[in-house]
Amino acid sequence: MPVRGKTSGADRLFGALANPTRRDILDLLLDGEQTVQDIAERFDMARPSVSEHLRVLRDTDLVREEQRGRHRYYAVHAEPLVGVRDWLSPYERYWRARLTDLGDVLDDLGDGAGT
Amino acid sequence: MSERTSIELDQFYPHPPALVWHALTTPDLMARWLMRPDGFEPRVGARFSLAAKPIEAVGFSGTVACEVLELVEPELISFSWDDAAAAEPSGWVVSFALRPEGRGTRLLFTHRGFDPDSPAAQRSRTIMGNGWRRIVAALGDAAAAA
Repeated sequence: MPVRGKTSGADRLFGALANPTRRDILDLLLDGEQTVQDIAERFDMARPSVSEHLRVLRDTDLVREEQRGRHRYYAVHAEPLVGVRDWLSPYERYWRARLTDLGDVLDDLGDGAGT
Repeated sequence: MSERTSIELDQFYPHPPALVWHALTTPDLMARWLMRPDGFEPRVGARFSLAAKPIEAVGFSGTVACEVLELVEPELISFSWDDAAAAEPSGWVVSFALRPEGRGTRLLFTHRGFDPDSPAAQRSRTIMGNGWRRIVAALGDAAAAA
């Protein structure tokens, strides 16, 4: 389903993703789960700042946490992004496809013109 | 910076700028990679239309009304991009900037002018902005595979 602007869930999701640091955190978590300490060291950030970003990501269900022993581990939960990708795809796909087609035309012209 | 209201794509072609320019501005060739233009001329102020399939997901009627806004051969062409059936101009502009790179051409494409006040445009910016596309693709793929 496309994401609709009126739903507060979608607004929160976009709000969460609008922040570059949070996108970087998600990027890092794509490689595997991490503790707050790991993330703080990676980004040279104070732990409270990292925790705040993680809270926002957790609230939108983009990240899930699991307590194991003395540590909490954070992992990406990608499900909320499916709708976003579907919403994005018309333009994304459209222009990428056009530029690819342009390349095919150029290849044909280039062969013919000997350039 | 315009990047907050733009889609930006970057593509390299192993062909000289003159050839890329030729393909960008020749109606019979435009028909092969974009859409067949009606009334296109490579001069500023030329108005033309493009016929496409409607795209229901984004509320697009199928006919695009365009006007050439900038033209610097063989470096830059931009034109307005409006749904011909829309009540008001979208303010969208698509542009193709060419830069020689080695023996080829670097094409910088932008689709800009999303109304900064509309919720859809705000989402577009968030979605299309730098650093975002890769992560959405990766996350989306991960979700689809899950």
